[in-house]
Amino acid sequence: MKPGPIIPSNVASLKSLTVTMAVMSYLACLAIGALILVDRAVTNWTSGLAREMTVQVRQVKSVDINAEVEKVRKILDGFPGIITVEVLGPEVGAKLLEPWLGEGSLEGLPVPRLIRVVTDEEAPPDLAVLEDRLAEAQGVHLDTHRKWEAELTRMARALTILSYAILLLISVSAIAIVVFATRAVLQANRPVVELLHLVGARNSYIARQIDGRFLRSGLLSGFMGVFMGLLTFLLLGMTGVEAGNGFAAASRSLLFASPDIAIWSYGVLFAVPVAATAICLVTSRVTLLRRLGGAM
Amino acid sequence: MLQLEGVGLRYGRGPEILRDVSFVMRPGDFYFLTGPSGAGKSSLLKLLFLSLQPTRGSLRIFGEDVRSIAQDKLPLIRRRIGVVFQEFRLLDHLSTFDNVALPLRVANKSEQSYKRDVMDLLDWVGLSHQARAFPPVLSGGEKQRAAIARAVIAKPQLLLADEPTGNVDPVLAKRLLHLFLELNRLGTTMLIATHDKALIRQATKPAMHLEQGVLDLQ
Repeated sequence: MKPGPIIPSNVASLKSLTVTMAVMSYLACLAIGALILVDRAVTNWTSGLAREMTVQVRQVKSVDINAEVEKVRKILDGFPGIITVEVLGPEVGAKLLEPWLGEGSLEGLPVPRLIRVVTDEEAPPDLAVLEDRLAEAQGVHLDTHRKWEAELTRMARALTILSYAILLLISVSAIAIVVFATRAVLQANRPVVELLHLVGARNSYIARQIDGRFLRSGLLSGFMGVFMGLLTFLLLGMTGVEAGNGFAAASRSLLFASPDIAIWSYGVLFAVPVAATAICLVTSRVTLLRRLGGAM
Repeated sequence: MLQLEGVGLRYGRGPEILRDVSFVMRPGDFYFLTGPSGAGKSSLLKLLFLSLQPTRGSLRIFGEDVRSIAQDKLPLIRRRIGVVFQEFRLLDHLSTFDNVALPLRVANKSEQSYKRDVMDLLDWVGLSHQARAFPPVLSGGEKQRAAIARAVIAKPQLLLADEPTGNVDPVLAKRLLHLFLELNRLGTTMLIATHDKALIRQATKPAMHLEQGVLDLQ
């Protein structure tokens, strides 16, 4: 017959701790999901922005804009590091101004012409030289999207910091909860702990009898949290199929990404049960040893 | 083994429960501790099994001053002391077998290594039929015998017992006394707090009398 557990498991049950830690793990999953999505979106946006430039050719009095556009196109075509040059029709510029000026009211207005340029990511063009060359034409302005890229990076960094701050808060709350739960278990089992001390048990031995329960609680709550988190992303993805963007698309991209990205995403999400278990085990062990060390 | 010099004890700011208690016990000694209820017998035993520290005076056990025993050394000293508590202090969620085996289990001994000894001892105290029973279903006498078995299972060098025969019939009391005498003959130092004058007479061992916190070596 196996010896019974020295610390009774029905005294000061850890059910409440498991439920609370599961909620914490769930919130951590959502924060990590947001972190992954922001990181992925910013990478996509910035790589797109970094690869593209726009050359704007403004109307200059007594200068043929079409000739200037052609001059610019020739400069761009042969420039090292430029892959594609696409001269956009006058209607594109008009379309961009439509929200401010309205439809059909652009006749006779000096609407600038736009040239879309795609650069080689591996060997980008020398922008200083390019700007010098473009100055040969009149009314030319090179827009490298650097300003937008900087804005996006700043916003992404703020969101990332926010997500990390949320994760930190969740971790601190989880640690506090485990400390309280450990104290409650010790308090409820005080007569047993006292007797164990009197028959010669070491603090580490008593701690081992208790922290196994925290290990199980941490592991269970972590997996419950991840399961609920994945379920949330799945439901969000399913409910917004028609919309094709926003939360739904983001959730779908998180769950059904290409294998190389998915392995990383799922790996980070499944680090939550590991973290929850580590928090439960380490915090309870440290609390137990500190509290037991205070008792004679 | 035990050396008390001018030991005093008070709980919080209350009156002194023990006053200027001084005595020495050498290895192999056997003493009874008598005195009326409330005289401080249990408090003195608590000092000796390191549950309390004296508020004044000096207490040395196994050559160590109790005030300077390091935390990590305390369990090793306690393993050399067997204690029979007046209120038994059996763990209700453990079987009689597991309760008796507790001092061996906390010393990280395997069940295989102590199973035979525990069953033999339970047999000796007449509890082998209750080995798998839990304390709530045991009678007062059975609990007392289980508590005594737990105190002696690890063959302690010092046995402290608080009214160990208080809940057993005279026949069993005599049997338990023989167990204590036998353990003492094998080298265990004994201090037994009791009201049982007949037991003291039978044992023909010296007694210390404690009254109003003052110890009188008779």
